[in-house]
Amino acid sequence: MKTINPFKNLQLLAILFSVITIIGCSNDDDIAPEEENEIEVITDVTLIFTNTADVNDVIRASAQDPDGTGIQELQILGAITLAADTEYTLTYEILNKLDPADSEDIGDEILEEDNEHQFFFSFTVNVFANPIGNGNIDAAADPINYNDEDENGNPVGLSSTWTTSSTASSGALFTVRLQHQPDVKTATSGSNDGDTDFALTFDLNIQ
Amino acid sequence: MSFKMKQHFIILNFLFFGSSLLIAQKETCGYSLNGKVLDAYTEEPIPNAVIKVKGIERYTTTSAEGTFKIDNLCTKNNILIISCLGYTNLIEDHEHDSAIHFYLTQEVTGLNEVIIQAKRRKEKGTETISQVTIGKKEITSNPTQSLAAVLSQQQGVTFMSTGTNVQLPVIHGLYGNRILVLNNGLKHGFQNWGADHAPEIDIASTNSITVVKGAVGVRYGPEALGGAIIIEPNPSLLNNPFYAALGTGYQTNGKGYNTNFEIGNGTENWSYFANGNYTRIGDRNTPGYNLTNSGKEEKAFSFGILHHLDTWDFKVNYSFVDQKLALLRASIANSPDSFIRAINSNEPIIINPLSFDINQPNQKTQHHLAKAEINWWYTKGAKLTLIVGVQLNKRDEFDVRRNAELPIINLDLLTYDYQLEWKHPKWHGLNGLLGAQYFSQNNDNNPGTQTTPYIPNYNTDRVSAFAVESLTFGKNMIEAGLRFDLETNDVRGREINQDIFRDNYTFTNFTGSLGYVRQLSENSTFRTNIGTAWRTPNMEELFSFGQHGFKTTFGLLRFKDTNGKLSTDEVIPLNQSTVNPERGYKFINEFQTNKNGNSHNLTVYSHFIENYVFDRPIGVFGTIRGPMPAFIFDQVDALFFGADYSWKKEWTDKVSSIFGASYLWSRNVGDNAPLINQPPISTTIELKWNQGKVGFFDSSRWSIRPSYTFRQSQAPRTITPQSLVDGSVELTTSSEIFDFAAANDGYFLLDLSWTFKRKNLSGGITVQNLLNTRYRDYLNEMRYFANESGRNLLFTLKYTLKKNAKNE
Repeated sequence: MKTINPFKNLQLLAILFSVITIIGCSNDDDIAPEEENEIEVITDVTLIFTNTADVNDVIRASAQDPDGTGIQELQILGAITLAADTEYTLTYEILNKLDPADSEDIGDEILEEDNEHQFFFSFTVNVFANPIGNGNIDAAADPINYNDEDENGNPVGLSSTWTTSSTASSGALFTVRLQHQPDVKTATSGSNDGDTDFALTFDLNIQ
Repeated sequence: MSFKMKQHFIILNFLFFGSSLLIAQKETCGYSLNGKVLDAYTEEPIPNAVIKVKGIERYTTTSAEGTFKIDNLCTKNNILIISCLGYTNLIEDHEHDSAIHFYLTQEVTGLNEVIIQAKRRKEKGTETISQVTIGKKEITSNPTQSLAAVLSQQQGVTFMSTGTNVQLPVIHGLYGNRILVLNNGLKHGFQNWGADHAPEIDIASTNSITVVKGAVGVRYGPEALGGAIIIEPNPSLLNNPFYAALGTGYQTNGKGYNTNFEIGNGTENWSYFANGNYTRIGDRNTPGYNLTNSGKEEKAFSFGILHHLDTWDFKVNYSFVDQKLALLRASIANSPDSFIRAINSNEPIIINPLSFDINQPNQKTQHHLAKAEINWWYTKGAKLTLIVGVQLNKRDEFDVRRNAELPIINLDLLTYDYQLEWKHPKWHGLNGLLGAQYFSQNNDNNPGTQTTPYIPNYNTDRVSAFAVESLTFGKNMIEAGLRFDLETNDVRGREINQDIFRDNYTFTNFTGSLGYVRQLSENSTFRTNIGTAWRTPNMEELFSFGQHGFKTTFGLLRFKDTNGKLSTDEVIPLNQSTVNPERGYKFINEFQTNKNGNSHNLTVYSHFIENYVFDRPIGVFGTIRGPMPAFIFDQVDALFFGADYSWKKEWTDKVSSIFGASYLWSRNVGDNAPLINQPPISTTIELKWNQGKVGFFDSSRWSIRPSYTFRQSQAPRTITPQSLVDGSVELTTSSEIFDFAAANDGYFLLDLSWTFKRKNLSGGITVQNLLNTRYRDYLNEMRYFANESGRNLLFTLKYTLKKNAKNE
């Protein structure tokens, strides 16, 4: 019994191996993940300033992030140039153009969920005659002329009114920030409550 | 040899000797020790076993009834070395004096009661590598902690965490899928990527955990590059009388509670066990504020059945773990700007009162493991083992986002494992193990996340064969191993525009290991091992894409680097990329000595990793939502060098201390730059006082454990997110590595514990972070946002019912 032939039971090994082969059939599939619709992505935002005295006088300024979560930098396409001493209504075009063939209007979604959204603003002091101050991003109670409100009577900001200063200026800044505030939005909620849907800063010229 | 024995019991790795000993206390050097050595399986006496008292030249052998007696001992606590010659199967062992030694430590729990427990035998293929085993008692002393936290008490082992609930073991600076987690003999099949995925292990159900600190790729396959964590469940002992245990715990931090049970029974041919565990913890707090959304809920259940037939063992195991783990709310996505605000803030930007709710962000996982194992001792000294395992890992992760109720990650991972091992009879002096393995994984995304899959669908198939042989001569042992792997990966994912991409890649690889052990003297051992290992970069490292948690990450194949500028519009096929498998070469040496109540252990290692993959900050890039921190994966040649030292001293028969220190130096030697997220120097000393029987209690033990973790001095430079946003610092991919925040200051922690035993009842009180220190841990991803947990008092109670052994 001192020496043992290690190969004595090779046939048994063979049997065990065949057992493995039988139960070892893997279930390789070739399925790719299903297509996912990125409904929360915003790729294009356009600010539309319409002269309340002349609906054909429209100033547009856009920002674009063509690849969403990709590394491409956000592009601010041009400055906002408004006429002095003029009243404008600000509205938006907010799109998801990840799939160019089927762009999606996020503005409609915001309107549907207006009790969860609010626009906040900040701007260089004195560029506007109305509202005065520097906007409500730093303090939510600061004056902004919202034209709309949600079912709870709180401002939304899909439309707002702005009157420019009578003196020309250049190189001022205008920031617009859309906050998504589900179960958070109240009469006193501010620009740091909830999630940011977009936060864009444009150069602003008054001439 | 005259005695006959069921030889195979020794081959089982979880062999324990049950024994009852009596100590009679007399004047100095008047201690005597007598006892009986029994086979834990058969409870039959083991005759002719050599009992040696470690440190002094005294030995005896057991009688035909397995009894022994040693007189005139000068100390009450002795380490016994029991050499069971008959158990080594072959008579040559006796002639060559190469008996396997079981180093037994006796543990006095009462005046007249001594428990002897054998240390686990080292797994074949790891015998020359520094390793440490943690037993059930130590593991279950804190039933609410994570696997990684248990292991981090050991030198050279730390943990990497994402908040309070997700903790990954780190061995010598490596974590994730460079550390193989062997769960009940199977590679734990889980979403093993990133610092935010910890193995789903219920530590309350484990019997022992072994940390192997060297490269053990030969024995366990690719990914065991930095070491292995071997988790053994209840060993299903035969002839083990019925036992039942019920435990419960309460902790003050997070008002957490835990309850667990275990039952088991072993007859001559059958054995079974079953156990379960439930843990619920609310939001943890730090000194000064709550960590909002940091609670967890965990359910676990497992059972095993063993049937023993003459030379066969049939074993079936099943385990289930269900985890709901909350991640710090303040860590993500108020807005991309909030990352900057959060990093600059001393406190998290969202703090709410304590709650048990688990809101977004969070992770929900379920892990099923089923295993069948057959062992056949077909002839003397030889064994065939067949293991078949199936694991299903379901993982849902939720982020703070518009569709927060939809998981952002929803993956099912199915793992099959087939292993055939042959421990061959001793052949020309060689002891060895040969094996063949087939491993397959199928990962699928479940639809409905409404985001581009972060991890693609994939199938991995691997066929492997290995051989490990050892040769013992005199006081030397040489162990060598070789392994072959053939791995195929088939990947299907989606690009950002939802186009499908596919990739297919195959690697073949050989790994080797060579080690040597020398018994320098009766008290000292030297081990040395050089091992190679490899792994293909994991799916996250290759294919991750997009936002998850507070950051946006791009895998190695998801971005293109053109003159330092990144673009991410296309996925690069692996064979057209510069990506290569990681290859590691680890050289590890251990010197152990134990004399006169002093034991020293010094482990020194160096580890070179070619094509080491890691993720690092690359900058802050503009998105429509604001500036977003971005991370990319990178591949460099890295060198690790370090040492672990521990010194255990028995001051008296009741007081002992353990001092430990770990040091790791690591560097990206390819670019001569620092690495990121490497463990800093740490040092600890534990003082233990075993009070013995006192008043009401049969035993009472105290321990106090101060520890100091240094600031990581090898961290990369710091560039604040603001300076990237305002453009005062501009970076390219070739810029020197940086981090968004500086390495955290060193910190001092003090832990205290008291445990007791009275008859069937045991329990204790543990105080963690007694001084309520405010600190942040460099290896916690949440260090950007919040402090670590503050003081915690943990109360545990356990009631054990055990039928008396029949031959008492």
